[in-house]
Amino acid sequence: MTDADPIEEKAVQAEEDVRFDEASPVTGASRIEAAYSAEDGGQASVAKTGSTGQVFTQTYLPWTGTLNPRWARNWAVYRHHILGLVRSGHRPWPLLVRAYLVLVLIGSVGDIFPVLLGSLFGDGIGEVFMISRDSLYAHVLGFFPRNVLYYPVVTALIVGTMISEDRLNGTSALYFSRPITRFDYVAMKYLAAATILFILCVFTLFIYYTVEVLAMGHGWAWIVDTFPLLLGATVAGMLLVVTYTSLGLAMSSVSTNGFFPAIGLLALVLGSKSVAFLVALLFEQDVLYLLSPYDALANVGQALIGTESNYDIPWTWSLVSVVAMNALSLFLLANRVASMEVTRE
Amino acid sequence: MVEGRAPIVHTKALTKAYGEHVALNALDLQIEAGATGLLGANGAGKSTLLKTLLGLIQVTSGEGTVLGHDIRTEGPSIRQRIGYMPEYESLDPRMDGIHQVRYAGELLGMNPVVAMQRAHQCLEYVGLGEQRYRQIDGYSTGMRQATKLACAIVHDPEMIIADEPSNGLDAAARDFMLQTLDTTVRNGQRSVLMASHLMDDVEQVCERIVLLHKGRLVAEGRIEDLKAIDREYEVHVWGAAEAMERGLLDRGLRVRRQGRVMRVADDRDDVPREVLEVAATTGSQVRRLHTYEASLEDLFIAIMERLGHDVKSSEDLLAGGAPR
Repeated sequence: MTDADPIEEKAVQAEEDVRFDEASPVTGASRIEAAYSAEDGGQASVAKTGSTGQVFTQTYLPWTGTLNPRWARNWAVYRHHILGLVRSGHRPWPLLVRAYLVLVLIGSVGDIFPVLLGSLFGDGIGEVFMISRDSLYAHVLGFFPRNVLYYPVVTALIVGTMISEDRLNGTSALYFSRPITRFDYVAMKYLAAATILFILCVFTLFIYYTVEVLAMGHGWAWIVDTFPLLLGATVAGMLLVVTYTSLGLAMSSVSTNGFFPAIGLLALVLGSKSVAFLVALLFEQDVLYLLSPYDALANVGQALIGTESNYDIPWTWSLVSVVAMNALSLFLLANRVASMEVTRE
Repeated sequence: MVEGRAPIVHTKALTKAYGEHVALNALDLQIEAGATGLLGANGAGKSTLLKTLLGLIQVTSGEGTVLGHDIRTEGPSIRQRIGYMPEYESLDPRMDGIHQVRYAGELLGMNPVVAMQRAHQCLEYVGLGEQRYRQIDGYSTGMRQATKLACAIVHDPEMIIADEPSNGLDAAARDFMLQTLDTTVRNGQRSVLMASHLMDDVEQVCERIVLLHKGRLVAEGRIEDLKAIDREYEVHVWGAAEAMERGLLDRGLRVRRQGRVMRVADDRDDVPREVLEVAATTGSQVRRLHTYEASLEDLFIAIMERLGHDVKSSEDLLAGGAPR
């Protein structure tokens, strides 16, 4: 530009005059100018074009990557549910559920503390809690607090919303409009719920056993003696995990909210136990124990671990009952999930 | 538009029956690449067709392919290459937008890191760049629809099925949604199959339509071509409009009249001359006479009238349920 606008030139000059940097002397005049942009009035007032930033431009960006096969999709469903317990960005578990799981985890490994004390101060203190048929049974199938406050409540909290919320929010469409089969969907949700329950029930059993071996300095002979008991307790624990998860997911699949499945599962586990107990007490009829999931599991567990049985009914009948409960639950679950819609729920 | 490619959807005598109810009746369909509108009254079979195209339900008889995959046996492969945007809520309200879209990508088999990267791109594309870390619970309807679209395009599918994409949106959000779909077709060279009951929306995005009625295909093709079946002259008259209408009807012309405005079907030679002759006979002044550019709405009504349904607007059929 050869013939520059005199007003613009003056504005540029004025701008340079009022430019402050670290080296500028701090004077009263400069402070006033800085605060009020007030000069001697000789500065030309020139409107300047404002910067508009970057204007939104809608451009479709292609993606040329490759999609992983079935295992990756299933892994995504599984990790979404598990990682949500500890990290944001995955399935958002309520804070109450996470806090309760921590409490139950602490409670579940509670039997290692007496063992540690026993190892420090002598067998007498932790004798009751040392590895035995009864203590292994108690860890997995003890009624109070584990099968009143821990495992049924945890199952209710975890599986209560697992499928029902997909019906409620319509997120089933997100799964089934993708190459996720209904079997994969159920299997991954089932595995995720079972994993959480497995950690609380069975994994803590291994911790308990390992801690005793290390703390008490047991040798191979002791391990060989007690390992079958551990295996029996593990199988009993697995049965419990599978049965509670099946019942809970079946309940979840018939509902569109988390409350009914949770209450339903607790009513089924604890209610049937209470009714069977009362009937046995008043009428000396044990047959209702076959319909109580907890009692059926306990009867089988006692046989597997080899503790004294509390039940008059054969454990094989209870095993049949457990299998039937699982089969019925899975049948209901499969039917309900098959009816979940993609285009409308 | 995406031209010159093989049909992305092809069905032959496709039939789906639920007991005695036939939802899709021997459907012969061919959808080319580009944007296609799927129209039909409630119960026409749109949802069943979409589920069939996604490979989610077993057909009773017939056959079909989507992107070259058999709908009877290759459902997972189809769903891997299609992006489906459902009509109803399909988002977890407790998640934030970015993680919801990332999870949608992971469900397709995308690596979590790649899915996250792509989720950022997609949310930016659908106009939610600044809102992507907000919880979906706090999203407006427009933002939720945009998130659903982002979930659908996260893996850059070749075909997007958008079920009522502008449902419940205000004017601005609707315009943006339609513009986004249009950009996806024109700029992204992707195909869109858009089910909607809003004719204007379909007309704005799509160049072709597929119209279903009671499970049957009643119209298919380019909107411009189909409009030819409903070519009319619009005549504005002053005085003796009723007499003029009678005169036109007596000559065997098809006439629709509302007050002083008439539409006369252009289904024979030299209709304007006949209109002017009748006007001269009845003493009506013809103030204006011109060809009428039919909208998709008019086309829809014309087709439905030919099928024997007396409808005033598409709302009667699409929102109020199927006619008997």
